[in-house]
Amino acid sequence: MWKTVSAGATRVEPAVKQFLPPCQVRCPINEDIQRTNVLISLLPEDPELATDGVIQIGDYLYDRNPLFNICGYVCGLCELDCNYQSKGGAIRRRLLKRFVSDTYTYHLDRKEEFNIAKQKENVAIVGGGPAGLMCAFDLSKRGYRATIFEASDRLGGALWLIPRYRLPEKVLTSACENLVRIAGIDVKYNTRVGGGKLTLERLKNEGYKAVFVAEGTPAPRVLTFGREKVEGQELSGVMYGNMFLYEVSHGNIKPGYFKGQRVIVVGGGNVAFDVARTARRLGGETTVVCLECENKKSRDGIPADVDEIRGAWEEGIKIVYSRGVRKIVGESERVKKIECPKCTNVFDESGFNPKFDTSDAIELSGDVLIITVGQGMERGALQDLLDERGGLAVDPLTLESSKKEWVFIGGDLRRIGFMAEAMKEGLIAAESIERYLRGLDIREGRKIDFEPQDIPLRRYYLNEPEVLWIPPEKRLHFQLFERGFTLTEAIEEAKRCLTCGPCISCKACVSVGIQEALPTVKVYEDRCSGCGVCSSVCYYSSAQLKEVEGKRKSTTDMFKCKSCGMCVVACPSAARELTGCNMEKRIQEVYASL
Amino acid sequence: MKNYEPKLICFSCNFGWGFLTGEEKLKSKVKNWIPVACSGKIETTHVLKAFQQGADGVLILGCPEGHCHFQDGNYQTSKKVHLLQRVLDAYGIDQKRVKMVFAVDSEGKKIPQLVNEMSEGIRHLGPMKPV
Repeated sequence: MWKTVSAGATRVEPAVKQFLPPCQVRCPINEDIQRTNVLISLLPEDPELATDGVIQIGDYLYDRNPLFNICGYVCGLCELDCNYQSKGGAIRRRLLKRFVSDTYTYHLDRKEEFNIAKQKENVAIVGGGPAGLMCAFDLSKRGYRATIFEASDRLGGALWLIPRYRLPEKVLTSACENLVRIAGIDVKYNTRVGGGKLTLERLKNEGYKAVFVAEGTPAPRVLTFGREKVEGQELSGVMYGNMFLYEVSHGNIKPGYFKGQRVIVVGGGNVAFDVARTARRLGGETTVVCLECENKKSRDGIPADVDEIRGAWEEGIKIVYSRGVRKIVGESERVKKIECPKCTNVFDESGFNPKFDTSDAIELSGDVLIITVGQGMERGALQDLLDERGGLAVDPLTLESSKKEWVFIGGDLRRIGFMAEAMKEGLIAAESIERYLRGLDIREGRKIDFEPQDIPLRRYYLNEPEVLWIPPEKRLHFQLFERGFTLTEAIEEAKRCLTCGPCISCKACVSVGIQEALPTVKVYEDRCSGCGVCSSVCYYSSAQLKEVEGKRKSTTDMFKCKSCGMCVVACPSAARELTGCNMEKRIQEVYASL
Repeated sequence: MKNYEPKLICFSCNFGWGFLTGEEKLKSKVKNWIPVACSGKIETTHVLKAFQQGADGVLILGCPEGHCHFQDGNYQTSKKVHLLQRVLDAYGIDQKRVKMVFAVDSEGKKIPQLVNEMSEGIRHLGPMKPV
């Protein structure tokens, strides 16, 4: 006879699936977007009164995402999956968040520290970027004593590489510095872990029971052509994009630095465009050269965002598509020109594997060449954590290192991605560290599948508002070039949100007292004649007719239902009723008093 | 008729009306006031029942077209009320006794004013039920 095993791999996993609005599914940290949209739509039009509401919205967001002030300037992933895209343009959620951020950034300096007793273990976090900060924040809230070891003299990591014309310095510094103050996180600046004496083992011996390594990808990727390193990268005038942005952000490169010079930027990603637009603002006559083609929809399409490409183009930056670099030609130790053969294919089945037509090559002359073709980790310090093939040995579900069970690895270091993706890794690591230190199963129930909800039906859809950019000839400086929403504009845009998601994941109306609780719709099958009027008035395709024992009966999909009551009102045979709502009771009371 | 004051029932959508002021404060200013989560939740039978119970008029305050939190609840209301007004007319009940106003008034300041205006508008019709 068989013997059942219910431990380890054979244990039943809880089936976890959650419905959310598509924006929240897209957001790596599943921020409560719908709720904040609804709350913004309910702000008073008086700016002074509204400030109080904005701070309340900010406080709510802050608990879940202490970096939201920054996200409001640089993210906007949520907009990519907004249901409204097909009907008039995605809700401008990034600008709505920036609207909250613009008030909240100043409030942050006055925000009180969390009152949390830190009675759990010491945990070390290596790297003070988005992943490290998020992990430290979450652990701190759970009562751990978190210490960030930061190699440089400031927090924020790769966020410092975002040019100031997109992210003002005040927003970045205020978010990072206040985060560690509010959550009570220790920070050791100018402290590099792994390189010299301060090894991971030493941290362990010093009493840190777990370590989260999120030191990012500070090493630039060198330019290659057909697997070979392109010659000439040591010439004067050649630099790497992330290092260039780093120097600019430190104020080491002064305005007008490239005046009268021709700058060539190699690369087609967002960082390459940050570099090109920065170089343009420093006075350079700038050209971007990339392997990818112009058509973003094609497999070989340019990866940079449309807005970046448009911005660069408006600012007078030339973009040369579908060209690689096979040779950097110098003259008396200075870069002079590059040779660019036609790229015929960037990706194939195996992934990135560019093919060139070497007979079709052009030459581009330049005084400066900035190579921005990607970044990588600094391997030297991470030797103990690598597998045989030189990659990081890490469980992608829990971020636990397979080499050292007390080490967790995440952020760009594990996989280069968006800021919010790094933040998510910080949260995953924090959960894993807690489970590890509490002796719980580290893998159980970690994977949650989110399912986006469809767009509701309505008679009119509204077009997206125009986003205002300072005209190109007036924006070649490092001040913000995009105008944020005014209070009135923010309210209008927030009202446009169709609130596709389920009520239970929002509850904005309950939180401000518009409804006492979320009602539910009850169907009395015995009264239902199967006429289908309910489904004709339901905007959420929740009320539907189903075949029950050979008869058509009305049903309600509770995941989709918003309890708006249209079906209840429309039903000719009173087979539908709202429960958990005091409307009927109030009506009776008022009528009785007549 | 001089001392006659029409009895009005006022329904208002919470998403468009008075959500900044709160129910407790507004309650004292509006008699027979029934805030609801959407004007679309109001049934025709609610209106008819109000008349049966002795109301002289019913005022429904909803959100402007295209601004309903529940997509088109206000549109459903206006369809229903227009039909209801025809039916009431056929039974000799003046359709002015049911009125809709679709606007946004986050502080609800206009609610007492609108109730008064409607009262004035139907005062000449006299009470629904002869006293």
